[in-house]
Amino acid sequence: MPAMRREGVFYLFALPFAALTILFGLWPILLSIQVSFTDSATALQPAPAWVGLANYRAIFADPVFLAALVRTLAYTVLAVAANLSFALAFALLLDSALIGRGRLFFKLAVFLPVVTPDVAGYVVWRWLYDQSFGAVNAALRLLGLPAFGGLASPRTAMLALLIAELWHHAGFYVLIFLANLAILDRAQAEAAQIDGATALQRFRHVTLPQLRPAMAVNLVYAVIQFLKTFTAVVVMTKGGPADATNFVSFYAYQQFDSAQYGQATAMATVLFAIVLLVALTAYRGAERGRA
Amino acid sequence: MFKRLFGAAIAATLLAAPVQAQQLAIWHDLGDNGTKWLNEVGAEFAKDHPGVSIRPISYPTDQWFGRAIGALNTNTAPDLLFNNYERVIRVATQTGKISDMRPVLAAIPDHGFLTEDDLRVATFDGKMIILPVQRVQMAFGVRKSWLEKTGGQFPQTWDDARRLAEAFQAGDPEGTGKGTVFGFALEAAKPRDLVHMLDLFTFGAGLRHTLVDPDGNVVIDEPQHARVLAEVLKTYGAYKLVPPDTINYSFNEMYQVIEGGRTGMFRVGDWNVAKWDSQAIKGDFLVGPWPRFFPDKQNAVVIGGMRGVAVPVNAPNKPLADAFAAFLLGKPAQQASLRIMGSAVRPDLDMAGLSERQRMFAQPKWALIAYDFPESTLPWYPELEAAFHRKLLTAIATPPADMDAFIKETAAEMRALVKQLQARKG
Repeated sequence: MPAMRREGVFYLFALPFAALTILFGLWPILLSIQVSFTDSATALQPAPAWVGLANYRAIFADPVFLAALVRTLAYTVLAVAANLSFALAFALLLDSALIGRGRLFFKLAVFLPVVTPDVAGYVVWRWLYDQSFGAVNAALRLLGLPAFGGLASPRTAMLALLIAELWHHAGFYVLIFLANLAILDRAQAEAAQIDGATALQRFRHVTLPQLRPAMAVNLVYAVIQFLKTFTAVVVMTKGGPADATNFVSFYAYQQFDSAQYGQATAMATVLFAIVLLVALTAYRGAERGRA
Repeated sequence: MFKRLFGAAIAATLLAAPVQAQQLAIWHDLGDNGTKWLNEVGAEFAKDHPGVSIRPISYPTDQWFGRAIGALNTNTAPDLLFNNYERVIRVATQTGKISDMRPVLAAIPDHGFLTEDDLRVATFDGKMIILPVQRVQMAFGVRKSWLEKTGGQFPQTWDDARRLAEAFQAGDPEGTGKGTVFGFALEAAKPRDLVHMLDLFTFGAGLRHTLVDPDGNVVIDEPQHARVLAEVLKTYGAYKLVPPDTINYSFNEMYQVIEGGRTGMFRVGDWNVAKWDSQAIKGDFLVGPWPRFFPDKQNAVVIGGMRGVAVPVNAPNKPLADAFAAFLLGKPAQQASLRIMGSAVRPDLDMAGLSERQRMFAQPKWALIAYDFPESTLPWYPELEAAFHRKLLTAIATPPADMDAFIKETAAEMRALVKQLQARKG
């Protein structure tokens, strides 16, 4: 079959999916960006009033948005570090000879939260953290430890949210690490051991470099995931207490809810740009590392 | 023969045309009860309008906004919209396609039962955007069995209410252990949640505004307003009379606390009564006006708004939609509204089938006081309210050492913000 014809067939098969991507993926994003340049009061009308960059100027002059942006970035750094560290440690444990028959049970235990519906999981976490009847404080009391402020205190709300999100997402990262661990070249580690390398040295200089592909995939995915943290906030804190968990995506939603469509979509566009930039940078970094 | 048959078929088609079925779509957010009520009214309406049926569709409130605004702007509007006045304002602002209902009201011969307040609340930007169909009353509720167990009485003053809340918490009336039940059920998470609670205590105490007066002057540091604000904030914080997680509560969580039997005092909307008479609370509650704060002010039950029907200018069957809107003020529709939804606007309805508590709302003998609806006259009010909410949440999360100083500081900040907003939005 001539190359041109082969390519034509390929494009023919790809066309329906490309059309769907454009229709349901790109078009809404473009529309949302378009709304960010209109006056909120007319944003949803057939002939909206165009206001140029006014919505962007307004959000960057809004201290609540700037605080939400900083909070989102800080939370993303913490959540990515916590999730990937936990997932790597857990995957290494599952891959080691230390766990025998229990391996399947632990694999299931860590992956089940991933397939649990978000809302149901976070509602349960909200109850666990409840200050009057929650299991977390009941357990701490039993152990004679001080109570945990959970979602009710601005000092602990972000940590409480991070733990719940870790429970929900870490299983996915564990799975990716496990897939990578399954194809490791064990001979290298054995050679290093014969050469007298300690366990830590073998992990650092032999295992870890070979886990770079899984690390790259997990890093890009986790960054995107946590920059857009939304469901956990809606279900558990609604941005509170006192804005302690008010991230950009939730703040944009609040603005949308109060009919500030122009500013809401401007915030969403800024977040989209950040997600795109960070994800591309992480991806490029990973590609360069592989080369 | 064929020609005759063909002619007969044409004649039959032409004769059938005038009674061709017509369907009026009405979008609301009242859930199953609302759909039941509108179906019942629709069946009644069809008696005088053969072939006309009503198709009520209930959406969650958030979706109702988006769908209504989108449909009106794209000329795919339903025939009628039914919702709270302030929500219809938003649709009107975003579309400019809500009809003026004054001619429809004028054509109703006996509409004298609508008060001036009702009509004022239905009017926005010089237009009557809804025909007022249901008054929304919100009273103060107390769990009856807890009162009996603690030997208390329905609180008349705020001090009574506070003492009672402390007695409930100390007395463990449910026998579930101390620290599991609370004096009050409140909400705080979203701007409307917290300010709505403040509205109820403020208006219930006989004051006329919560944050600003109709001229946009900030009132929160006026002595009586400051007292109510301070007490409400302390109830969330220092007094520890609400569940500690209340700062994150919205309507759903507040209802879980009420219906889960974890609170002694709570808001009772007229729409709650039918359900709470039979399910959840099972009639174990008393209702009355909000607590009195000041000897010189009459405490009251709060009229928190008006639900009504709006007709889009691009409604597919506009004349028929207008007729149905008017029909909702007739006695059969109002009677059904009272029975199913717990509220109406006509005073001449049969009260026989209502529970005692439903009758208290239907024929109120208590003092009533209506919200001032600043959002209907001050276009920047929602932004101000969001900033005010944020400030109050900070005070709940970290209670200020000096509440008076906090209120003065907040008032100063709100005044500065009003100036900014007025300059920006007029």
